[in-house]
This record gives sequence, C-alpha cells and structure tokens, in this order.
Amino acid sequence: MGEAEVKPKKAGPVQCSICSQRRAALKRPKTLEQICRECFYAVFEEEIHRVVVDNQLFKPGERIAIGASGGKDSTVLAYVLSELNRRHNYGLDLFLLSVDEGITGYRDDSLETVKRNEIQYGLPLKVVSYKDLYGWTMDEIVKMIGLKNNCTFCGVFRRQALDRGAAMLKVDKLATGHNADDIAETVLLNILRGDIARLSRCTSIITGEDGPIPRCKPFKYTYEKEIVMYAYFKRLDYFSTECIYSPNAYRGFAREFIKDLERIRPRAILDIIRSGEKFRISTSAKMPEQGTCERCGYISSQKWCKACVLLEGLNRGLPKLGIGRTRGLNNGLECDTKQSNGVKNIQSKQCGTLDF
Amino acid sequence: MQLTLEFGGGLELLCESVKIHSVNVDPQVGEEKLTMKDLLSWVRANLIKERPEMFMKGDSVRPGVLVLVNDCDWELSGQLDTTLEEKDVIVFISTLHGG
Amino acid sequence: MACGAGNCQSGCFRDDDDSVVTEKKKLTNRTLSSGSDIDLPNHHNLCLKCKVNETLASSGTVSVDGDIGRFCFDCFRGNLFGKFKLAVTSNAMISPTDNVLVAFSGGPSSRVALQFVHEMQHKAQKNFDASRDRSLPVFGVGVAFVDESAVSRIPSDEFDKAIQDMKSIVSNLAPPDKAFHVVPIESVYSSNGRDRLEELLNAVKDVTGKEDLLQHLRMLSLQKNAYENGYTKLLLGSCTSRIACHVISATVKGQGYSLPADIQYVDARWEIPVVLPLRDCLAQELNMLCRLDGLKTMEVLNSPHSGINGLVASFVTLLQEENPSRECTIVRTAGKLTPFHFNQIPESDDSNVHLASRRRQKKFNLKPNESVPPESYCPICNSPLSKSDHINLSSLGSDQTNADIFGATCCPSCQFQILPKEPVSMEHFYSLLPQQFVVQAKDRSFSMQRQLREQIQDFLLSDSEDGT
Repeated sequence: MGEAEVKPKKAGPVQCSICSQRRAALKRPKTLEQICRECFYAVFEEEIHRVVVDNQLFKPGERIAIGASGGKDSTVLAYVLSELNRRHNYGLDLFLLSVDEGITGYRDDSLETVKRNEIQYGLPLKVVSYKDLYGWTMDEIVKMIGLKNNCTFCGVFRRQALDRGAAMLKVDKLATGHNADDIAETVLLNILRGDIARLSRCTSIITGEDGPIPRCKPFKYTYEKEIVMYAYFKRLDYFSTECIYSPNAYRGFAREFIKDLERIRPRAILDIIRSGEKFRISTSAKMPEQGTCERCGYISSQKWCKACVLLEGLNRGLPKLGIGRTRGLNNGLECDTKQSNGVKNIQSKQCGTLDF
Repeated sequence: MQLTLEFGGGLELLCESVKIHSVNVDPQVGEEKLTMKDLLSWVRANLIKERPEMFMKGDSVRPGVLVLVNDCDWELSGQLDTTLEEKDVIVFISTLHGG
Repeated sequence: MACGAGNCQSGCFRDDDDSVVTEKKKLTNRTLSSGSDIDLPNHHNLCLKCKVNETLASSGTVSVDGDIGRFCFDCFRGNLFGKFKLAVTSNAMISPTDNVLVAFSGGPSSRVALQFVHEMQHKAQKNFDASRDRSLPVFGVGVAFVDESAVSRIPSDEFDKAIQDMKSIVSNLAPPDKAFHVVPIESVYSSNGRDRLEELLNAVKDVTGKEDLLQHLRMLSLQKNAYENGYTKLLLGSCTSRIACHVISATVKGQGYSLPADIQYVDARWEIPVVLPLRDCLAQELNMLCRLDGLKTMEVLNSPHSGINGLVASFVTLLQEENPSRECTIVRTAGKLTPFHFNQIPESDDSNVHLASRRRQKKFNLKPNESVPPESYCPICNSPLSKSDHINLSSLGSDQTNADIFGATCCPSCQFQILPKEPVSMEHFYSLLPQQFVVQAKDRSFSMQRQLREQIQDFLLSDSEDGT
C-alpha cells in the first residue's frame, strides 16, 4: 500500500485549507475545499462514521455482510468499514459476500480481487454462485437466450443470491456500496419511469427492514469522485472492467447528466438526494403485498417469485417466460430495455445493480 | 518532453489494456509550453485506440474522468490550462466503470 | 386521447366503447385467419380518429413527426383544444365573472393559450348573445407581455417590431376586445427600477440563480399588473415539456418538497390565482399548431436557458427524442406527489359562480387531509418551506440585521444560488430587493408567530368544547 512519490508542482502549490501545512491534493466536490491527502482521509472516514452513527446503521454485536463485487465502491466500503469498526469499537462481525454469476473473463477476475481483499482486510469471504443456487451460470443463460434480456435474469438472480448468501452467513444486515451519484441517478430514473413506489424508498438509507435481510448504504452521501480518489491515493486493489454481457451499459443518459451537473454545480448530487428525501409521497400509496414464493419461500408479491418464474422458463426451454410487461419486480426495467435502440439507454447500469 | 501517463478505472481498455505509457510530447511549433489541453488532444490522436468518446467530450475529458497531475487533482492546477513539465506524471481514472 | 404508445394500432383512443370492442374483435379475427399480417389497405393514410380525412403525414404539406402525423388537421386541433378545455372545466379555472390575464411571451405555447382562451370567450359571447335571460356574464380577457428590455440585449428595432406584432395579434382577435399590457419588468420597483434591477441581477453570481431570480421577478410583475388592472386569474401557457423541465430542475436544485406546488393546473398561493390550462399539451404539438394554423410567434424574445436550466433542457430534449412519451411520464410522476392546499381554486361565497362549472369540477389528486396550510414560504421564490427548513427566528441572535433575517427565511435553494455569501454583499443585495419581497418576508416571520398563537388557541378552544 505504498503511496506514490510526490513531486510538487513548481507553480504555486495550493495549501490544504484544513491543516494549512501540507500541499492540497484534491478539491472536495461536497464542500469545494482544497485539502491534502491526510486531511482527506480523515474527513472522508469521519463523515462515513457520522452517517453510520447518526442513522444507527449498525448495533453492537451485529453480523454485517458487505456486498463485495471487487469494484471500487465495495472495495472502499470494505476497507473503510473494517477500519471504522476497529477505530470506533462498533463491535461488528464483518463479512464479505460475493455473487459469482458465472461470467468467464469478468466475474472470475473480479472474484480474484475480492479474494485478495479477504486477505488484505482480514474479512471472511462467502461466495454464492448462480450455478449452485439456480443450476445455471450466466454464460449458460446467455448461450441459451442470447444478449437480449440477459440483464433482467442477472439482476433478479443477484438480488436473491445476495439475500440467500446473507442468510447462510446468518448476518443481521447487508451493507452495499451504493454511492451518492448512484442514488441521485436512481432518483432521476424513477422520475423518468414514473415509478412512484421506488421513488419513495430509493433514498432510504436502510431498506427492507420488513424483509429477510435489511440493507443499508453507508455511502449514501459519499461522492463517487471521493471514493475513487480515496481508492487511488490508498492504492486499494479494485477491479474496473465492464461486464462483457452489457458492454456500454454505463453509457447512460442519466449518469452522463449527473456528471455534467457535477461539473457545473457539484452540490447538485446531494440536492437531488435531498429532493428525493423530501418528496411529498402519500404513505397510503399502495405497496405490493408481500407474501412468500410457493416454490422457494423467498419473499414475493406473486405466487412464485420472479427468480422462480425465470428459472422455470430456462428449465423448460421457454426463456421468454416472465419477461415482458407484467407488473412484477422488474416492471419498468424491461420497458426501457425494449425502448432502447441498442445505442444508448437512459440508465447507466442495466445489470440491475441499481435495483434498490 | 518526457511524461508518464497512467490510465485506470477501465480507461486502459481504450488503449489496448496498457495502463502505463512513457511518452514524449513536445509543445506545438511556436508554443513555449505544453498544457493539459495540448496533451489531451495528443492522447486522443496517439494513444486512444477505440471509443474516444469514452475519454473525451469536447476538448476536455468526459465528465466522470478524474485527472491527477503529479498526484494532485487537476481542478487545483487549472484543469486544461495546467502547464506540464519534464517528468510529470499524469493519471486518468474513469469513475464510470463497475460498482 | 391516444394511448401514448407510438405503435399502438388497437384503436383504443376511441371514445365509443362499442367500437373499441368491434375493433378488437376484427383484429382478433384477422389475426386468426391471416396470421401476422393485419395491415389494412390505405389504413395508414387515414386519420386515426375520424377515419375519413387524410393524415397530416400523408397530406405532405408540412413535415410532421411522431403521433401528430397520424391525425388529420381537424382531429389534431380538436384533440389539443379538448385537452385545454378539459383542464379549464375540470379545475374550474375560469368562471363567467372572471377577468383573465393571459401572459403572452410571444412564444408558441402562450400564443396557443391566447388563441384557445379567445375561442372559448368568443363562444361564451355567442351563447350570451343567443340566450334569452342573459344571466351568465362572459369572462373578460386581457393580454400581458413582460418587457425585459431592461435586462436583455435585444436590438431595439427588433424589439419594437415584436411589440407591434403582438399588438396587432391581440387587436385582430374577434370581439370582445382585449386590452394589451406591456409590463416592464422593472415595474416591480416604484422608482429607479431599471438601475436597481440591473444592480440586483449583477449581485447574483450564479448564472442559474440569476435566471431563476428573473423568473420570480417576471411573476411578480405579472401579479402586480393583474392586481392593478382588476384581473382575477393569471393564465400561463406552461406546457407539458416546460413542466417536465421544471420537474427535473427543481429536483436538481433540491426543491423536492415544494415541487408539487408548481406543476398543478391551479396555483392559488398568489394574490391572483395562476392557472395552467396547457399542462397536458406537448411543446411539439403547440409548435405544430402554430405552424398549421398560421399563428405568428416572436422567437426573438425567447432567450435559451443557461446553467443548470440549460443542462436540464437539453437532457429532457434528448430523452424526448429517445422516447416520445418521456415528458408525459415525467409530469405524470411528479403529478403523483401530494399537492398543496392552494393548488385548487379557493371556494368562493360568490353566488354568481355558475353551478355547471362547479358540477364539472373534479378534484384531481387533492387529498382531503391537505387542509393545513404550510406555515411559511420562501420570500424570493414563494416556495412552501418544509418543516426542517423553517427557521426558528428566536434562535437568531438579537444582533441580526434585517438582511440576515431575510436570508434565513429563504429556501435553501435560493440561499445557495441567489443570495450573496458575504455579509456586506448580502446587505447590498437586500437593499436592492423590490419592496414586495421584503414585505413578504416580514409578513411571514410575523405570521409564523401569529399562526402558532392561533394554533395554540384552537387547541385550547377545542379542548374546552370537549369538556362541555
């Protein structure tokens, strides 16, 4: 974890506005302060600590799974949470939980990163695979259904796989690496799609408290830029290749819009989240009734959960089963996939990681 | 002028998956100094092998690509107007890949 | 109204239930007998609605895009006017005793608004002339143009010509006659308006903030004009596309709480209630109507948006190109947010209000529990403030200046993008504000305390009632 050698720029280095001693290394998007690396580490970690404490994300003695993809967000989350757990005596048992979708050349590589994280941070790792849970790898699914709708399968399966993995680990909560940019994007997407139910809950820092495993987002107010800067300065080991089955998935209009906004007004990202928190949404708005899937016992508003419907389709050789305009789990997602002309999409991550 | 360029966060995929490039870039004829603006157009012409729109937008980097000059956020050194010097290390990191 | 899906050919736009059923049967039969080929000969050249006239697309006189091209001119115009009329009647926007001021910018949306209001008034006049008892008066119409030459750089000859054009548009409308008001934006000041306005806008550093402040001043000047000239409603041409942009930009500026206040058919938080009868019409449709109907517009007066507003406008345009129903979806989503108590025409004791318009009035999406007025509004943008944004005036120290107190009563968005950060510039800015803003702020800080007292009193009263 050696830090890169620093060669100060001759043309008037900017002083850190916090310590007034060291050379500033970045401009914080949240506050526009120009601060040095050491002060950045301190405020970055302290802010996340405040979020954890103020929102009572964890209780002492809890077992917490960190959803780990090997990407920047979850890698930084694992690092910071284990650090804060030690520093502030949270008293948490932390675990890494990864999903192996079975995508050769993508997930196998990123899983190597997670396995290194396991050793680097000393956190036990649990990997649940689609193959074990469903009998199918994504490679096999794509071989059968092609590149259309594959993200629907992957998204539905991942959501459930994380819950099942969390249950196997007997954890109390699942922490995910969704950052402020992700949440701002989700607020916009839910407006663009007319999804008022999701709009009302997408800014909640803890979700699914009535479900099997509550999920929380410690990076809710953390800018993506700071996460990447932190990972870079700390030389954290993360994986950053796009999924081979949805290349260009990150070329979304909404994400690009967020980044354009950030350039002219960095505070816009937090303002969008703030708007999302303050929307006047009538609590009487109908929420789908939660039952359990008759087949696998997973929470479902229908007779069978979405994963079982999709799986049934695969096993019977009718992969279109469960794909379409049904008012189900993934309503809206499919509509947008259909409308896209294959060049650009309104959302950045089609693969369902934003599905919260 | 001897410079080290580093591409990360997935941007290396745009330059044949090579992360670190040692390059020699000189100021344009008649110009004394080399700025980030000059470097970007040089990179686009010489290093980016595919999908240049993933790296640039207009004459700057695409929003969401972080730039560090000698490990310092280029927002502190004047962004496109940053003057480069011999042996400078310039890092480009995409924040847009993966999660 | 068509079903919105670009490729829907099921005929579901029909009003007549029977015909929908037959249509569906026909489709099913055809599907069964001839497989996937369900195209009728000539089907594509006939208007979707009347099935008699040629579609706009096939008549080839103008290039039309999207769904519009699938209708004939009469049905297209009828549809659009129908949306306008439904909005007016179902929200009781205009009653026979009203005097309506139409805000006319010279752009296509307000041009259509003017045209439609005029047609409605014209028809009311005909009915009046034909009726025996003449008991129902005909509502009055006036037109106001906000003259922003004090702050924009439009060549004066172009500007004068535009004013002349607008004058002749208004005077060429059939009777009843309509007054045309040119309202200088600096009229929000009682004196020295031009200079103070210029200085005020110069004190705002953020380009988006400057643009939004100008927008608030525009509303203030319209309100003032409407009030002084005895108008009872202010009618704006805000269309779906415009409102969709507002939904996104308000979200981006952190105004999620107050957003539903701005996007309803009726906004009666102002002295003169504001109505938006074109809320369900797309900019694209209104532009098309202006072209087809030969309604003249004055584009020279409309400056493009900048800053955040500009970014939002191009984002929404991009989305609309990708999916022609996107703007509608955005407005529909925001429409599901809970509106405020002032988003309906206040019940009046006026017995002149015609029963027919009452009966037709549907209270869209207004929850009965929405009767408690929010305690406070931002003195600049007039947004209702959420609980957490209310300031506790007693918590401000006694050494606070008026400017400080004013700043503290503003919403977070105005504080960020409009108010100067340094105390000295803030004092200067405060001194330049139109009296209206300052008075509002003062009124509000007092009314907050008064309201609190009233609430306590109400509580005591109801308590004693229970006791007896």
